[in-house]
Amino acid sequence: MKLAILFGGASYEHEISIVSAITVKEKLSRYELSFIFCDQDHKFYLIDGTKMKAVTFSRGEHRKMPQIFLTNGGFEQRGLFGSKKHDMALLNLIHGGDGEDGSIASLLDFFHIPFIGPRKEASMLSFDKHYTKWLANSLGIKTLPYEILHKEDKRVVKTAYPFIIKPARLGSSIGVSIVREERELDYALDVAFEFDSVVLVEPFIAGVKEYNLAGFSTRGEMHYSIVEEPQKAEFLDFEKKYLDFSRSGNVAEASVSDTLVQQLRDAFKTIYLPLFEGALIRCDFFEIEGEVYLNEINPIPGSMANYLFDDFGDSIQKLLGSLPDKKMIRVKYDYIHSISQAKGK
Amino acid sequence: MAVKTVQYKQHTFSISYEILNPGAHYDIIFLHGWGSHKNLMKHAFGAHLKQFRHIYIDMPGFGNSTCNMTLTTEDYATILESFISMIEVDKMIILGHSFGGKVATLLNPEFLVLVGSAGILVPKPFKIRAKIALFKLLKFTGLSSFRRFFVAPDAQGLSQPMYETFKQVVNEDFTDKFRAYKGKALLCFGVQDTATPMWTAYKISELISESKVVEFDGDHYFFLEQGQTVSKEIEKIVLKSLEH
Repeated sequence: MKLAILFGGASYEHEISIVSAITVKEKLSRYELSFIFCDQDHKFYLIDGTKMKAVTFSRGEHRKMPQIFLTNGGFEQRGLFGSKKHDMALLNLIHGGDGEDGSIASLLDFFHIPFIGPRKEASMLSFDKHYTKWLANSLGIKTLPYEILHKEDKRVVKTAYPFIIKPARLGSSIGVSIVREERELDYALDVAFEFDSVVLVEPFIAGVKEYNLAGFSTRGEMHYSIVEEPQKAEFLDFEKKYLDFSRSGNVAEASVSDTLVQQLRDAFKTIYLPLFEGALIRCDFFEIEGEVYLNEINPIPGSMANYLFDDFGDSIQKLLGSLPDKKMIRVKYDYIHSISQAKGK
Repeated sequence: MAVKTVQYKQHTFSISYEILNPGAHYDIIFLHGWGSHKNLMKHAFGAHLKQFRHIYIDMPGFGNSTCNMTLTTEDYATILESFISMIEVDKMIILGHSFGGKVATLLNPEFLVLVGSAGILVPKPFKIRAKIALFKLLKFTGLSSFRRFFVAPDAQGLSQPMYETFKQVVNEDFTDKFRAYKGKALLCFGVQDTATPMWTAYKISELISESKVVEFDGDHYFFLEQGQTVSKEIEKIVLKSLEH
């Protein structure tokens, strides 16, 4: 089975994407894989599978590998004697900007390239944590109360201490801090505003139960991963998350009641269908007093949350077999023809 | 990391900084040398001095901080002064390496830690003097296009304002500035340092009455491997005076 992994991107999570791609490569060893690297200047390179190491990119060795170009139906490698077409389905593994903001989704759809990943509407709603709140609330899924602060706003926060500050459009805990007292506020905002001009403030609930669930659908039928209770110190900072992205072993299923599993699955399904069709996503939830709250949606989870699936390879295959079709528009010029005929020209 | 903007002489500077141990009571500010950045300082000291709140700052034009005008060392100090007050940090201890040492001195902290600090003029070696003489000759004969072979390593790859800044701050005699400093100073210098040799440390200590020189094995960047030892010296001097 042929599949190309697209990774890199002009994103704060560029390096995490490289780690993710290397991990997924191991997990999908029975596939006939190609690797397409998008550098920070949006050039695409076809990476030799044996060179899929982090240092290949940090040393700039990818620049010696063939550059490829987007064209209708796939990528094209141009040579002196004609060009070679690489047309296989793609796994969008670019985390953060480009990959999760809808840019790549739009680009691939526009060029009729089949891919695993969130479509543009799903990307836009899950990339911005503020929009995710709107989405969840409109679907009747609970989320924590929040307030929004813009860079140019007065730095006044109404939420009671301690609270958590997150850049609105960033994943992987980058720019996130817990603020316990007033003297920590200014610095936490300087940190968050370095990455985004909009930040979200939410109450920080120490010791809250967290559960992660991943899944996807095949023509309306849901497939769920096991429920994981992520390890956490306070919360995962960037370095721990980075390690988290290279996870490949299987994790122990959280010991939770069937009722809770059902609640999590119901919430997941409500969020997923039909907006996220074509993507394998991970939703992170809180459980507070028997109720499930959506924390965030990862439409391209780190290393595709492979460690939550019994047979990750099989899951990807199922998903590949049921990618949403984009309705093709055929322009027939009927209207212009009819007018021309009526005018007798 | 974090960013804050400072206005100075109709210019906006984006200052990148990072704070470690946010809960600690006493503040220590780290200023890097010319051509360096805050991460180098954090690499050396980040794991030590746990009882202090560390403030690492990229000086304008270096690391992730911006600068699009020519600055003097005094300008640097003024910008940092307002930045430090904006982030509400106490000027209790300021550690400066090389050029950062000069800026630290002007900031007039309670405790000044000079690590391989610049400020005492060191005669140029014969090789450099010969190079300058040769270039002056070339310039005279109209061959100044060879300039790039003569530019000092510290000035290579600089933007125009930063090159002008370099010319302002290099080879500055800080004798009077050191003499004007009335706080306590710890002078940590590398024995094999040629940029700011050991004798300059003793010269500075003559100018600052309450000062102590500590010799370290190594060159201008000795502290990168000896962050812990330098930290111990800082603890000694600061804790001792807190007891009084």
